[in-house]
Amino acid sequence: MQLRHVSTNLRQGLRRNASMHLAVVLTLFVSLSLAGIGLMMSKQAELTVDVIGSELQIQVVLCLPDDPQNASCTSEVTEEQKSAIATAIDDNPEVADFTFETKAESLEKLKALLGPEQFEGPDPVFTVEDAPQAVRITLKDPNDFDGTVDAVANLDGVSYITLAKDEVKPIFTLIDVLQYSSWGAAAALLLASILLVANTIRLTALARRKEIEIMRLVGASRIFIALPFLLEALVTALLGVALAVGAVAAFTQFALIGGLSEVVRALPFIGWAEWAETSLVLVVVAPILTVVPTLLLTRKYLRL
Amino acid sequence: MIRFEKVTKSYAGPDKPALNQVTINVDKGEFVFLVGASGSGKSTALRLLLREMRPTTGRVYVAGKEINRLATWKVPRLRRQIGTVFQDFRLLQNKNVSENVAFALQVIGRSGRDIKRTVPETLELVGLSDKANRMPEELSGGEQQRVAIARAMVNHPMILIADEPTGNLDPATSVGIMKLLDRINATGTTVLMATHDHGVVDQMRKRVIELDHGRVVRDEATGVYGFQH
Repeated sequence: MQLRHVSTNLRQGLRRNASMHLAVVLTLFVSLSLAGIGLMMSKQAELTVDVIGSELQIQVVLCLPDDPQNASCTSEVTEEQKSAIATAIDDNPEVADFTFETKAESLEKLKALLGPEQFEGPDPVFTVEDAPQAVRITLKDPNDFDGTVDAVANLDGVSYITLAKDEVKPIFTLIDVLQYSSWGAAAALLLASILLVANTIRLTALARRKEIEIMRLVGASRIFIALPFLLEALVTALLGVALAVGAVAAFTQFALIGGLSEVVRALPFIGWAEWAETSLVLVVVAPILTVVPTLLLTRKYLRL
Repeated sequence: MIRFEKVTKSYAGPDKPALNQVTINVDKGEFVFLVGASGSGKSTALRLLLREMRPTTGRVYVAGKEINRLATWKVPRLRRQIGTVFQDFRLLQNKNVSENVAFALQVIGRSGRDIKRTVPETLELVGLSDKANRMPEELSGGEQQRVAIARAMVNHPMILIADEPTGNLDPATSVGIMKLLDRINATGTTVLMATHDHGVVDQMRKRVIELDHGRVVRDEATGVYGFQH
């Protein structure tokens, strides 16, 4: 009987404020979709950093035998040369950290960037022998790199130097713009959703004030009085989440997997695993965002 | 059953307290009229009894328990022991007679079987068995008040609080309601009724407590509405 009473009230509440609930669902849908896309973008940024390095990085590519990039390189870089390079980097105050990359690691990075096709088969374009060793230097400040470049540029065994700053800055700028604009819009819309939830609950409480008063007088517990309101908020939240999860899935499929990753072959793109993680966050966050203001408001309107 | 011990209730503002050092003792099974002009403190006393608010000073006891010290989550349990009836009936217009009475049991989690058994019994007590399926708007004022009394009594409370229950009724109908309240009282339920209705008080000859500006000015075992000279 209790369950029937709660479900009847829930149905009535949803029907009575159908237009308000629809507004909440749509606002939540748009805001959570944007928040989801923002989350996906931050994951994309992490993946991009992992593969191509952050703008704080300098890549010192070391000599290969008959190096096509540097004619003065005649043989593979030697251990003595590497030791001298390490000392020069280590002594430089601009450097935060540095690691050596083996030929195999270098090949893996190339594979990730260019796709595996050119590295496989009986006559691959690239083999491990073609992959240069490198030093990845992380700077303290992306703008302070002159000293490091000067210190290592003319050392024996160095083929050439790439500044990640120049190569990755446009990519990170794009990702940052997408990420922060999604989050900014999502924050404003989430605030709107919370206010809409608050207004809806206020309207429902007003419409049911006589019923609530009788419930209080005959000794209904606070949770029993508040339950239909909480469930109303939860139902709208779940509808909003379902739509947002669908929208982020569409973004993953059409913008990333079937879109950008087809066009920009040089960059790795996130996929369904990141979508699943993002969806999980949305499923947890959205009910909190609607149920918490409902709880706070029902405390005020449904006090014993 | 009910005890007010030096209870003072002040509201915010410069006004005098709504209740001022009030001490009242009502035994189990008593029928008590609470009389006094508007603003004398009757409604404040009833609201304190329902723990809708706490006294500024003093103590309120129901069935031996000091209710102003009751934890908030225990308040519903207190209210299940007190039935309440109001001048304006407060029926839900979208529910029929039977559903209005059943509502009081549904919202405290009683089983469907229990409700099906108890509601007809209570409607019989108030003389509305034949009107179980009527909507409130189809009933007279007296019948609506009977539904409200049925709703208040369906959970068999120890105390029935009635705030001006005859205030919207004609004298003849009021007599019927008072007979019903008397019958409920005869089954052992303590009845505390706030009223302005001289006729009802004078006719019943029950205990009368008069409040004036928040103070008890009269407490007579078998009183009338005004002072007896």
